[in-house]
Amino acid sequence: MQVTIDVFRFDPEKDQKPHFDQFVVEAEPVDRVLDLLEKIKDYHDGSLTFRRSCAHGVCGSDAMRINGVNRLACKVLVQDVGTRIKVEPILGLKVKRDLIVDMEPFFDHYKSVLPYFINDEAPPEKERLQSPEARERFDDTTKCILCAACTTSCPSFWSDSAYVGPAAIVNAHRFIFDDRDQGAAQRLEILNQQMGVWRCRTAFNCTEACPRDIHITQAIAEVKKAITSGKLD
Amino acid sequence: MATRQVKISQNYETIAWKWMRYSAILLIPLVFGHVLLQDVIVGVYEINADYVARRLGTWFFQAYDIALLGFAFAHGVNGLRQVLRDFIHNPKTFRLVSIALFIFWAAITAYGGIAIVMAVNAKLASL
Repeated sequence: MQVTIDVFRFDPEKDQKPHFDQFVVEAEPVDRVLDLLEKIKDYHDGSLTFRRSCAHGVCGSDAMRINGVNRLACKVLVQDVGTRIKVEPILGLKVKRDLIVDMEPFFDHYKSVLPYFINDEAPPEKERLQSPEARERFDDTTKCILCAACTTSCPSFWSDSAYVGPAAIVNAHRFIFDDRDQGAAQRLEILNQQMGVWRCRTAFNCTEACPRDIHITQAIAEVKKAITSGKLD
Repeated sequence: MATRQVKISQNYETIAWKWMRYSAILLIPLVFGHVLLQDVIVGVYEINADYVARRLGTWFFQAYDIALLGFAFAHGVNGLRQVLRDFIHNPKTFRLVSIALFIFWAAITAYGGIAIVMAVNAKLASL
């Protein structure tokens, strides 16, 4: 089958403003959008620029807007999006070139919520044990791959990039509800700001965009509840 | 397993968020009670100035309507504040806007409250 694909193009060294290039490529229904982009790069235009790494939905490199929806190009099949495809960079972050955006502001927000284990007590001889029930409490939010599909689908983030964003809150959630961690109060104080969880309007775009099916809006609501109640279980 | 607890300081955002939830819970019985009374029990064709004066002649309905006005208007104004946040990116400006909206809410609610109590008393005196 033939697929017509419109690709967002922008070269800051040559272009005054972005434009779309159209390519017609041969594809199988089970080809992924990433396969099409690689065909274009290999056989049509070697200057096309996009991120990819594992190509199996684990590294989170190739998040992009496919037919207006944030997806991982390596997880979307041609048969699921049809023979007319439009590919754009994710919104809300500055485009560096073609489908590549500047991820630094995204990772700055991620770092701001202290996304690492905090416990100043001396570690036990073997390991810090945790019950299966306590592990289950934050299991969902351990799945985040930092692809930014959620944050860049969020209307609050589009309107103000100072908003910490769903991905950062998800990664804060992962540690806030970990009963071995002692940094919950610090993280909740950080998120208890105008640009923290209170900017979330529960639009649910993030939950729909997440390629890992994380219940992001629910995780944000749980963080809000922890802030208002002070209870972490 | 013992419940883990932390102490988080409550700020303007926390209070505003709680206010939206709690005021919505209070609004539901107030609004449904209002609709039930006006549209079902009394009926819109029976509502005139005399009915309104008699209804608001009781302290219960004066308090009821002032609460309905205060909660509904606060709910709307806080919603407006959230919408404006999308367009006002300077934190200082937004703080000023928040204060202005609070004064706006307090003034309109006070004016409405005075109208409910005073105007009705004046109408009752003329009956």
